[in-house]
Amino acid sequence: MKNFQKNLQKLEAADTQVLGVSMDSPFANKAFADQIGVTFPLLSDWGGETTHKYGIYLDKYKAARRVNFLIGKDGKILEEQVDKDAIDPTKIVDACQRPKLKE
Amino acid sequence: MKKQKLVLAALLLASTLATSRLYAADKPSQPPPALKVGDVAPDFKLQFFDGNGLKDVTLSQYRGKKNVVLAFYIFAFTGG
Repeated sequence: MKNFQKNLQKLEAADTQVLGVSMDSPFANKAFADQIGVTFPLLSDWGGETTHKYGIYLDKYKAARRVNFLIGKDGKILEEQVDKDAIDPTKIVDACQRPKLKE
Repeated sequence: MKKQKLVLAALLLASTLATSRLYAADKPSQPPPALKVGDVAPDFKLQFFDGNGLKDVTLSQYRGKKNVVLAFYIFAFTGG
């Protein structure tokens, strides 16, 4: 999440809303956001319905897998980063800055 | 001579086992997510706490207006 915060200005300039999602409660997520200095919303998927819908529930952890989706204005997935690759969001930040996405 | 061959065979077996274990550890434990680039992202309605109250967020509210990064993470308070 910190890596998205570092790139937040670039992402916002490219018309992109960042949303974190986990299966923690909204209050735990707020405390987490405050602790690490994240200013975008950390959404609470309490119960895991959305995590299941996106097919990334991990039985081993009873939680979501680490995955980043970049979703375009048309609602379609433009980029995807999974597990270790999802720690560094450069690929997504770069994709947002491609001229066609700014339109 | 026979003993040497035996030792060589044992070493070969051990190194083969070690490499295959390393290889297994390196392989992803999970297949990639079913949702692929180009698929329509499923809509959702989730909440976050903004310090005053709970706020609803849907994916569809950004349709035609903004790109959205959805960053799923495992647990709060676990790095990243």
